[in-house]
Amino acid sequence: MSWWDDAVHRALVEAILVSALAGLIGVQVVLRRLSFFTMALTHATFPGVVAAAIIGVNIYLGGAAAGVLVALGVAALSRREGQNASAATGVVLSGGFALGVGLVATQNGFSRDLSSFLVGSILTVDASDLLVTAAVLAVVAVVLAACSRQLTFAGFDPAGARAAGHRVGLIDLLLLLTIELVIVTVVPAVGTILAVALIVAPAAAARLWSDRLAVITPLAVAFGVLSGVAGLYASDRWNVAAGGAITLAATAILLLSLALTRVSIRPKAVPA
Amino acid sequence: MGALTAPFAAPFMSRALIEMALLALVCGPVSVFVFVRRMSFVADALTHTVFPGVVIGFGVAGANGIFGGALAAGVVTAVVLTLLTRGGRLSDDASTAVVLTAMFSLGVVLVSRRSSYTTDLTTFLFGRILTVTQQQLVQTAVLAVVILALLAVGARALVFRAFDEAAARAAGFRSTLLDLWLNVLVALVVVAAVRAVGTVLVIALLIVPAAFARLLTDRLLVMAAVGTAVTFVAGYLGLYVSWSASIDYGWRLTSASAVVLVLVLAYVVALPVGLTRGRRSRQPAVDPSCHGQVPGTSELIDGHERMRKVGTS
Repeated sequence: MSWWDDAVHRALVEAILVSALAGLIGVQVVLRRLSFFTMALTHATFPGVVAAAIIGVNIYLGGAAAGVLVALGVAALSRREGQNASAATGVVLSGGFALGVGLVATQNGFSRDLSSFLVGSILTVDASDLLVTAAVLAVVAVVLAACSRQLTFAGFDPAGARAAGHRVGLIDLLLLLTIELVIVTVVPAVGTILAVALIVAPAAAARLWSDRLAVITPLAVAFGVLSGVAGLYASDRWNVAAGGAITLAATAILLLSLALTRVSIRPKAVPA
Repeated sequence: MGALTAPFAAPFMSRALIEMALLALVCGPVSVFVFVRRMSFVADALTHTVFPGVVIGFGVAGANGIFGGALAAGVVTAVVLTLLTRGGRLSDDASTAVVLTAMFSLGVVLVSRRSSYTTDLTTFLFGRILTVTQQQLVQTAVLAVVILALLAVGARALVFRAFDEAAARAAGFRSTLLDLWLNVLVALVVVAAVRAVGTVLVIALLIVPAAFARLLTDRLLVMAAVGTAVTFVAGYLGLYVSWSASIDYGWRLTSASAVVLVLVLAYVVALPVGLTRGRRSRQPAVDPSCHGQVPGTSELIDGHERMRKVGTS
């Protein structure tokens, strides 16, 4: 029996890969304040995944297709006068969620599927899930590294970036598609709640310790991996849901960071 | 007409319709505030964070404890969210996301030690609108009265704060208190609704009615009335459709999903109407990307600008 045959070992590798992936993209999500969009994306890709499973197509493909629709839908709705991005995102989220939940309910044995959608089932990942996650991690790392200068410029000063000749709309679209790629990969394995927690909490914690991207990014990945490993250990030790335990570990790191940075790092005189 | 009212002759269907009517009454006005304050994410968070309260309440006092537990968790979330967003060390959306995931996971961790784990989660998602009891109807009605009373008392101050925070503060209103007020209101709506109709439906009822109404009008009172009307109609049609789908066609359509889908469909249908209205009264469009920004900041800058011009002339 090889090392890979143990479900806990596979879960450990998956947790590390997913945490690293989420930490990488999380820095962009936190800096650009895209948490709600991320949450909407997790809920609204759900009907795509369910429909793909019912028809018998690859679920990653179904989720990706739904995700593109969602991103375009939010962009189009929030440009409508009187409608703000928050409301548009909310409408897309609730519509997608209801559609997905309704589709699942037409199938047999649906309550198990639903709960795994919400909180995931990291203990049941197989080798192909691990391969997909690793591949996506490589792709996302390459994309973020290759475009880091443009992403930072467009994120902090869109007008300046436009004036300097960068195509800001294209950069933003690239970022949204990268976030979507991460969501589509991560959600089927670990569920929506854990996906959002791993994307936002470690990056928000890392942000408290530094304001240099070169420090924040590795720190976010490290915090993510640490919460993944600690959560799995707690889940194994006390027999509680793995996804929930990992989320709580990530939250604990954020709370610790809040407390520690308040003591150790004096806020500099920077306008908020 | 007989065919349209026939499903509601069954007592459980008529109770479901009354529950929907009560929720429509509350969600119309409250969703208007969720809309103008861009609180969709906070509303979404509150629907998730009452979950640990439900679990703990059930564990402590059985079915009777659910209501109190949800109420306590809702109020705790409202306070925590208000404090975190005031602190300014984390951005609003990041702190909302963290509170949402942490509280929900706490509920999951607690519930995962029980054997009926997945059934509990499913009930939480869908609620049980078709098994609403007389007692729950009374509870919802009482909460509806409380919510509407709180809203009526605070409405003027809340509108002031929503559209011009600086002026509201200058006029002596305390924004933190008003924010807490609104967060607690939304929490109360979630508590009133979540057991009967589930999270899937509550989140939609807090966001879509006002978004729909804003396409037809830009007056707040009219928005509230239109929101209530569209919610009630969607509730009626959703219940009707899910009844006929399952009775006449044997197709399992959950009523919560059906109501939300009718509501979102109404929004999509109203989009072209909003477009033509928008063309008639063209105003400078607000940058859609600045959804974390406080409305009123630009007016403040305009004021300074004007003062400077007056000073130089």
